[in-house]
Amino acid sequence: MSVLGNDDIYANKIFLNSVLPLLKVIVEDVPSIGNYWIGRSAVCQVSAIGPEEKVGTHFVIDEGQWTVKKGIYDGEPHVELEFPGIEALNSFFQGKSKKLPKMKGWYRLGTFVNFMKVLLKMAALLGLEKPPETQEEKALLVKMYFYLLSAGISQLNKAGHKSISEWTKISPDRVYAWEVETHPDCSAYMRVKAGKSKACRGIYKRSKPFFTMRFDNCDSALGILMAIDDMIESTVKGKLKMVGGPEYGAQLGDFMLMVGDYAK
Amino acid sequence: MAGLTYTILDAANMSTAEVYGKALEQLADNHDNVVGLTADLAKSTKIGVLAEKHPDRLYNMGIAEQNLFGVAAGMAGAGLVPYVSTFAVFTSMRALDQVHTDICYQNLNVKMIATHAGLSFGQAGSTHHCTEDIGIMRTMANLTVVVPADGIAAAEAVTAAYSKNGPVYIRLNRGYDQPVYDSSTCDFEIGKSIELAEGTDLTIIACGAAVYRAREAASVLKNNDGVHARVIDMHTIKPIDRDAILKAVHDTRRIITVEDHNIIGGLGSAVAEVMAESGKACAFKRLGVPDTFSIIGLHEDLMANYGFDVNGILNSARELMNMDFEEDDDWEDEL
Amino acid sequence: MALTETEFLELEDKSRELRHLIVDTVQWAGGAHIGGSLSAIDIMTLLYYKYLNIDVTNPEWGDRDRFILSKGHIGVGLAPVLADKGFIDKQELKTFNHTGSSLGIHLDKNKVRGLDASTGSLGHGLSLALGTTLAGRHQKKDFKTWCLLGDGECNEGSVWEAAMAASHYKAHNMITIVDRNMCMMDGSTEDVMALEPFADKWKAFGFHVIEVDGHNLKELAEAMEGAMDYTKGPVLLLCNTIKGCGVEFIAGDYRYHYASFDPEKHQLCKDQIDQYHDLRKEENR
Repeated sequence: MSVLGNDDIYANKIFLNSVLPLLKVIVEDVPSIGNYWIGRSAVCQVSAIGPEEKVGTHFVIDEGQWTVKKGIYDGEPHVELEFPGIEALNSFFQGKSKKLPKMKGWYRLGTFVNFMKVLLKMAALLGLEKPPETQEEKALLVKMYFYLLSAGISQLNKAGHKSISEWTKISPDRVYAWEVETHPDCSAYMRVKAGKSKACRGIYKRSKPFFTMRFDNCDSALGILMAIDDMIESTVKGKLKMVGGPEYGAQLGDFMLMVGDYAK
Repeated sequence: MAGLTYTILDAANMSTAEVYGKALEQLADNHDNVVGLTADLAKSTKIGVLAEKHPDRLYNMGIAEQNLFGVAAGMAGAGLVPYVSTFAVFTSMRALDQVHTDICYQNLNVKMIATHAGLSFGQAGSTHHCTEDIGIMRTMANLTVVVPADGIAAAEAVTAAYSKNGPVYIRLNRGYDQPVYDSSTCDFEIGKSIELAEGTDLTIIACGAAVYRAREAASVLKNNDGVHARVIDMHTIKPIDRDAILKAVHDTRRIITVEDHNIIGGLGSAVAEVMAESGKACAFKRLGVPDTFSIIGLHEDLMANYGFDVNGILNSARELMNMDFEEDDDWEDEL
Repeated sequence: MALTETEFLELEDKSRELRHLIVDTVQWAGGAHIGGSLSAIDIMTLLYYKYLNIDVTNPEWGDRDRFILSKGHIGVGLAPVLADKGFIDKQELKTFNHTGSSLGIHLDKNKVRGLDASTGSLGHGLSLALGTTLAGRHQKKDFKTWCLLGDGECNEGSVWEAAMAASHYKAHNMITIVDRNMCMMDGSTEDVMALEPFADKWKAFGFHVIEVDGHNLKELAEAMEGAMDYTKGPVLLLCNTIKGCGVEFIAGDYRYHYASFDPEKHQLCKDQIDQYHDLRKEENR
């Protein structure tokens, strides 16, 4: 097995801890997918066999309620997608490889099929080149991006990514937030303090965030998030407001792009 | 000269007290019922400026402070608007019975200009310092308490006091204050604090001589530490600008108060009262004279000695930024 | 003669009436500062019923004469006067000192119509009077300001600060009266904190001093007119009085600074007031 480079580790962390958790959002926000799980219980897992240990993310479903848990389930999951290595997992999620992982528990057809449905829906949404048609899907995608990016930056910090961790190290206790004016429930934020970081969902209520990236509606948000629009132009047009110092907005934008690069 | 941070040139532009003397003169020009009183301190308190143009309107009552304030009350009762000036230590303690009973209780239009407050008369020692007056005057019902930051603000306060019904206590220094405002930047309104710098990392609330220092400290914090401190000139201690404090509690969650006064009972306590009643957690530190009688010295040196000069504020700000007060145990990302 | 015979008889009757009203108010209050009120009531009768230029319908009138009760604890002495004159409702006297009442030991000028100053802390009145006088001078008005002090009150340094300043500012139009009843709370003034030579002290401070019997209406009126005519500077009416004057069993007794009576004693007071006034009217016709 080749030695894992830092980039592989970072990408892996992003997939395991920022991308996979989005499955819960899909289940909660898309009725056609979520309805199957009502009243059902199961444990599903996505894992990879790393050089030292197995890594992964598992989902504990209890009476239809999804809880995302980091790491490997202590027991036998009902359904598991096990990749032979970290690079294999990364390549698969980046869309570079079509090599399927080992599918454990495939004979539990209902659970298996529907778990794959969730995964595929997420992949489909994140893989879109153009914004979706319906308002609901637009809002959902914005929410997914916000959660992904905030958690992604935080994960990179925790993993010791050079430029991000240098930035968090010298930061006083500050909160950076992402918002859409028309859809307050799509918000996310990240708290940073002296090297530590924490990504959170929703609106930060305790105080005024140090910096907020505020979009006027979902279209404007997706324009930036899907790299269709240019940030400066959007700001000029009023689609995007940087509340707080613009220099912090630019920096945050850079970090968001970094996360995006690892995920693609 | 050791301790001074301004040049002789600056001093010419600086005297808080003289600027207010001019404001008083203007009031007297425009209103027949304005008179001035002092207790043999016309020169020191600069109320003597009034006498230059209106000699018949300044009453010197000699070194008898109790009578000074009683006479002022009598004048106000008969329809005049007296401006009474002596040192803060005498206004707030020696003549307090008159201030309390003749002026505040009867709710009379006496405007008290208390000079040489805090440690500003440094070399005169504790007999002439006054680090208790904000605490004392805050508890007088009916009394408005104003602590202007510099000469311009003092002039504004003196003028605003005329239109404010009832007794007003204005606390000034000795007259050598660095300017904070120029006439175009001072938007003075009794009861409304002035935000001098924006920020959401922490808030520094100051009054009087401490305002200049707070602003300087915020500047250093921004350029040096990358910390954005909000600076508020809380010139009116009573009625205090509760909204500004509550906003600072919510927006920044860290507050430092700075005053040339005992940390007990003054601006710090007033801010703490609002904070505590808000029920919201907030890191908090009061800077000022640490409940002691001061050593003698130049005003600048004394502020440094007791930790509420620019460096003192910087140290406290940096300490506060490292304090944990929010749930800090769980740094796991939400899933 | 300052008073005509008719005036004298009317004023005698009025001061008798007011003594009754004071004693009644003390009763309604359940106890009050009776001694110092009775020693001052003749002075206040002459002021309010002959000399003060005031208007009951306009208590804020800018040109009115002022009366500052520096010995503010005799609210029970002044309130009946204000009620009888019509500044306040006589019925209110029945609530004197009751919770929430507008009338109490120390009268509040923001609650009592016709009152020029809130006093109670001794030693303030003379400064207030001086301020009022100087204001009048500034406004080029000619009203008189009367200030009534107790003798024990003159222990307070602030009184002498005001006296010194009054003299410095040649404050005529300000007439100071001391109710020299020789008593304070802990004993006679000369035993507790001696004031004598009292008149000399005032003279040394630049006052023109007129000594007079504070219970002889004819002499008191003469003295008041003399004081009003003096224009060279501040003037003092040193009134020799008797604490509790009019009620024989308390007269001259420092222990009746403050008192409350049972109905029997109350009636005794009233009977003795009548006896006193009958005698006084006869003696001074």
